[in-house]
Amino acid sequence: MKHYLVGVDIGGTFTDCVVLDQDGGITATKAPSTPGNFADGMIDALTVAAERLGLPFGEFLGRIRVLTHGTTVGTNALIQRKGAKVGLITTRGIEDAIHIMRGSRGIHSRDLDKLVHFPESQKPVPIVPKRLIEGVSERVDCFGEVVVPLNEDEVRAAVARLLAAGVEAIGVCFLWSFKHKAHEHRVREIIGEMAPQLFVSCSVDIAPKWGEYERTTATALNAYLGPVMARYLENLAARLQAAGYRHPLSIAQCGGGSIPLDRALEAPLLTLDSGPVSGVTGSVFLGRLMGTPNIITTDMGGTSFDVGIIFEHQPAYSFVADVAQYEYFLPKVDIQAIGAGGGSMARVDAATRTLQVGPQSAGAAPGPVCYGRGGTVPTVTDADVVLGYIDPDNFLGGRIRLDRAAATAAIAAQAKQLGLSVMETAAGIARIAEFKMADIIRKTTVQKGFDPRDFVLYAFGGAGPVHASVFGAELGVKKVVIPLRHIASTWCALGAASADILHVYEQVDIQVSPFDVARANRSLAALEAQARARMDKDGIARSRRRYAFSVDMRHKGQINEVEVPLPGGRLTAALLASLRERFYVRYEQLYGHGSSYRNARLELVTLRLRASAETPRPKLAKARTLTATIPAAAKRPARPVYWAELKKTRPTPIYDGALLRPGNRIAGPAVVETTDTTVVIHPRRTLRVDAYGNFEILFAA
Amino acid sequence: MTKISDIAPERLDGKLMGYVPPARLRIAKKLKLHTRGSRRIDPISFEVIRHALWHVNEEHGATIQRVSGSPVAMYALDLNPSILTEDGEFVYFGPYMQYMSGVTDTQVKWILENRGDNPGIRDGDMFLANDPWVGAAHQQDVMLICPVFWKGELFCWVTNCLHQYDIGGITPSSFCPSAENAYEEGICIPPVKIVEGNEIRRDIEELYLRASRKPDAVALDFRAQLAGNIAARDRILALVRKYGPDEVKGVMKRIIDNAERAFLDKLDRLPDGVWRDRTYIECCRPGDRRVHRVCLTLRKVGRKLIFENDGTAPQDGAMNATFSGWRGSLMVALNQLMCWDQYFCVGGALRHVEFNPTPGTINCANFPASVSTAPIQSMEISLYPTYNVLSKMLYCDPQMRRDIMCIGGTSQWPGTLFRGTNQWGEYYGYVLIDPIGGAIGAFAQGDGINTGGQSRTPICKLPNIEHTEQDFPLLFLYRKEMVDSGGAGKWRGGLSAESCFIPHRTPFITQDTTSSGNAVPTSTGMMGGYPATVNTYKFVRETDIHARFARRSMPSDIDELAGRPEGLQLRQMNFRQNPADVYAVMWSAGGGFGDPFERDPERVADDVAERAVSAAAARAIYGVVLAADGSADAAATAALRAERRRARVRDGGRVARIGGAALAHLTDNLAVKKHRGRVHTCCAKCDADLGPVRGNYKERCVMEEQDVAAANPHIGDYKRYIDEQPVWRQFFCPGCGALIENEVARAGDPILADIEVDWKAS
Repeated sequence: MKHYLVGVDIGGTFTDCVVLDQDGGITATKAPSTPGNFADGMIDALTVAAERLGLPFGEFLGRIRVLTHGTTVGTNALIQRKGAKVGLITTRGIEDAIHIMRGSRGIHSRDLDKLVHFPESQKPVPIVPKRLIEGVSERVDCFGEVVVPLNEDEVRAAVARLLAAGVEAIGVCFLWSFKHKAHEHRVREIIGEMAPQLFVSCSVDIAPKWGEYERTTATALNAYLGPVMARYLENLAARLQAAGYRHPLSIAQCGGGSIPLDRALEAPLLTLDSGPVSGVTGSVFLGRLMGTPNIITTDMGGTSFDVGIIFEHQPAYSFVADVAQYEYFLPKVDIQAIGAGGGSMARVDAATRTLQVGPQSAGAAPGPVCYGRGGTVPTVTDADVVLGYIDPDNFLGGRIRLDRAAATAAIAAQAKQLGLSVMETAAGIARIAEFKMADIIRKTTVQKGFDPRDFVLYAFGGAGPVHASVFGAELGVKKVVIPLRHIASTWCALGAASADILHVYEQVDIQVSPFDVARANRSLAALEAQARARMDKDGIARSRRRYAFSVDMRHKGQINEVEVPLPGGRLTAALLASLRERFYVRYEQLYGHGSSYRNARLELVTLRLRASAETPRPKLAKARTLTATIPAAAKRPARPVYWAELKKTRPTPIYDGALLRPGNRIAGPAVVETTDTTVVIHPRRTLRVDAYGNFEILFAA
Repeated sequence: MTKISDIAPERLDGKLMGYVPPARLRIAKKLKLHTRGSRRIDPISFEVIRHALWHVNEEHGATIQRVSGSPVAMYALDLNPSILTEDGEFVYFGPYMQYMSGVTDTQVKWILENRGDNPGIRDGDMFLANDPWVGAAHQQDVMLICPVFWKGELFCWVTNCLHQYDIGGITPSSFCPSAENAYEEGICIPPVKIVEGNEIRRDIEELYLRASRKPDAVALDFRAQLAGNIAARDRILALVRKYGPDEVKGVMKRIIDNAERAFLDKLDRLPDGVWRDRTYIECCRPGDRRVHRVCLTLRKVGRKLIFENDGTAPQDGAMNATFSGWRGSLMVALNQLMCWDQYFCVGGALRHVEFNPTPGTINCANFPASVSTAPIQSMEISLYPTYNVLSKMLYCDPQMRRDIMCIGGTSQWPGTLFRGTNQWGEYYGYVLIDPIGGAIGAFAQGDGINTGGQSRTPICKLPNIEHTEQDFPLLFLYRKEMVDSGGAGKWRGGLSAESCFIPHRTPFITQDTTSSGNAVPTSTGMMGGYPATVNTYKFVRETDIHARFARRSMPSDIDELAGRPEGLQLRQMNFRQNPADVYAVMWSAGGGFGDPFERDPERVADDVAERAVSAAAARAIYGVVLAADGSADAAATAALRAERRRARVRDGGRVARIGGAALAHLTDNLAVKKHRGRVHTCCAKCDADLGPVRGNYKERCVMEEQDVAAANPHIGDYKRYIDEQPVWRQFFCPGCGALIENEVARAGDPILADIEVDWKAS
């Protein structure tokens, strides 16, 4: 009997579902997302999968071993500002920390031209207004010693005022609490006595890190999402259970793994960004299978473009995240949102005869001109349609019919201003977008100390394979891979299905060299005890547990921190020397040759444990034989496509990607279509189908 | 006093007077320049190369930050990279410390003029420079300047500037608030070749590092600057190889040409005229109780802008800036208000801007004036009035009106310098960086930004309290936004904050102050908007703070504490703070825009609920009456405002009025109209005639003059710091009592003619 691993990813437009069986069989389905209650869309996608597999819904659910769910519910609540009414209790004197925002205006991922245009550079609306922030007397110092004990009378009075104001959740964050957790936990107890049902989030339980602004933000955001997420997840879990699913629901998290439902309920912040992160998780999985250690992942959709980096099979991490201009602490797989994807708008300045593409986006509404939803400004997607890359009658498997004539008219108007032909202009829009992407991907890669030439580029998302061969070549990567052609557009769902259980535990314990080894080891042991308790609770067998310890270090007096692995999980005198050396090597790799500073003392900042447990591995079918013969059925009627390299439109061979066989090679110019995306093969490029069914695009030497 | 336009160009050579590049550079014949820029670049290639060049500069800045890793580079972002053409025109500069842009092109042009023959400018060379008379804000801002060659021709320049912790001088950190001249300050280096044929000249590097108290840190930062230039040079050469030198150069020139064109389009939409601002700076050396006047005049003549500083006090003490510092300050505002849509390409605008200050003044000082504090004093006092004069010029155009901005926070930096032995038993010295949290001034169509940073460093960040407490023996009692700190107005200026601390786990700390703008507000508002708070030091000795800790009762404000208040002077050196002594510093906030009586009462009620405005100020300044539940009482507010306006009018408001449509608005409440064949200013609310447009409308207004303390609840008694009284003048419409403009002045100074528009009647 077949049983299944299932990954479900809820995106802004579609809910994707990938079902894997123990023989490597893959079923991918899509259903429209249902923003009113996202659970409906999820049930729909699962229902389609059951139908595809020919199973009654209840039986299908009963055969699922692990269902991992990546969700955008949190992100949506945040963007639409539909989170809970939150009160905040903090140390008296720092009530304004999340309003001051360290004097910055949250410039991450903002348009540069708005940077010095202050009228467009406002801070975000605060998550908690000042009137709902209560300071109470308590104080701990940098040694973790109590200077002022917690004033519980003030706490009670503060809680009473917040309850009277009608808050639905309370965040608690005190100065230096990560060195002394008792005050925050005592406040939690007091709130529990006064309002047992209220969602409470303590900073030490969500982000026990050094720096009160980012820690308070994490706490407040977590409280903001808590009640919304609980309503959604508890409802969903109950519906699945009632329909026949028998295992605990597992939730994809931004650290690149999954967490059990109860952890997601207390730390909903972990689910922000978990969709795009799952794409990276899936790429790690595929990279291991294919022996590709270094990967740049690009997920280009209709309204977004996300980039991730995998080096030596490990995804690049960041420890400060940002959302809607807020910065907060959270260990997560680093995803850089670098643009607007296919929705990037093209604009002409007639006076200077210049053409710019992005960063403004047409978004999902009104969207590109060709969507016919009222968009009037041509976008990259419109250019793709005009050039003939995208078949207007077969977009997203024919789910949306595109208006090529309208797109052509819009671009023709710009062409006239520029003094170019329509095709030259459309090709120009595509080229500018592609080269800009290359510039920005290059920047994010170089900033992490990597050279793009050492990487393979994975392109997924609906719009990625249309443009990846150009920006990949411009970047200088070895080759471009469109992973598992039949599920490239549901890649994040596959990532969710392939995720291990992961819990990240951190303790900040700042020390200057020479280090107090015993003290550091006490902290490390405490992290391990936390992990053990968690795994015991979840009934995870000891043999499945994997503990990876690391420390963040820096030169004293400098800011750049470097994460160095700590094999064995404890510091020893013998290990110290090699730890120093590893720090210098990694530091120079990240920050440049000659940048480390051996005269300076080292500072140890954060100790970390990534505790993971392997989940059943998806198995991917591999073809035994490769064939050069392209099946006749894979050939579709040729259509005219404009090729900028040839400066002309020519009839171009079109292939049905689903029917190509492992070993097939197609020389450009050509276009390969799958249900959800289009692969554009430019002249001097070759597409090859590998044994797993991945498309590879190779550049001519 | 003589303006530089009246001085022989060869005297403006960067020795006694600041270097002013001549219209035609004198460049050694043996240096071959690559000047050919293709004029036929298709729009697609242009955009692709333009974006790549922008990213070259971004990568340059990021490389410096990464390699340096210092708090100066990472938090204060006190650095900036640039790309310039072969002859020193800006293509791009970076979004970091904006001051540094204005000093870059003068350095490059000076090198072109003075180093071409000896020691020569060749491929693989780089020049180190920090001479403020050639081009640097102050000595600590060290530049590394790299010519980029292609096939034997000088193709372009990449440069960077990075603030150094210490390069010598009588005070650690090289900020020398008690220096009398440049000889007492950090090492001053006219451009020297420190990299020759791609190799660091060890002799020059050692000479440079020898001056510093922190040579290791300076050496590392030098590596960072080097790595940045190399990265940028390599990327530009890769572009040249890919697209060809003429194509890349053509793009560079067209970036500047396009920016020029956009700038001219803006100038063409504005009337000719003169706009003036006047401000004051306090305490140029320990013990000084004078105020020093700083004047700025902007003249628009057709397609040219001319900036002058006549009326500014002579150079004195340790608060001066050089020509390049003044020019760099003005360029910050010019870029933000007029070139913000050109991605930091000011080169095009600069073709039409003249800088014509008077040498020997505070902000155009001759050698060997002390200039090490320039960025936090003389340059700030030069920059901030520029927002006012440019904003008033731009206001005339309804579209550009959206881009204007009132003066922001930390318009003078209240320095808190302290040192001692920290909780780890180590010696330390530190400058409290909190005032970089600043505030942004109000806009013509919205409130300013509370603690939105200092506008001159658009992407800075202040450290968390936990960061500061980890390294220094302090315990913060609070860091909070200050009620009423933002200037009042129809649109309120952003709030600033106050930091308050005691020494902790140390016997005491030793402090210095260095400040200005504590008696006379420097973040003045605009068009009826009020000034923000002044900088304020608060110091209470022997408080009951530890007794309060023992009874678990933390204060929310220094005023709640019992103890002995003590006044601190603006350059008070070496005073001791013991663990029970509480110190607080508030920095200036953002100025307000427009008449506060025109602010929506509901907004004022919300300001009170969110601790932005006090209930007292809501009534006194905004004329808003709050109901018991905190909401605005609309009827009572309307009555109160009407009553107060009536008290301001002349002859019961029976004044001459001008009919017909307005030709334009010069400020929020000041319009111009045709009147019997001539152009007059008039009240925009009631059409009261305020006289011919070339006269000073203020003379026809009802003027009310009070002590400056009336301008903002935080200002207090000026006599704590200065001897001469500053006054607060308000100019009301004689017909309806609308507030048209305010000004802060030294009591004896005449009424400022802030606007003289040259509006033709035709």
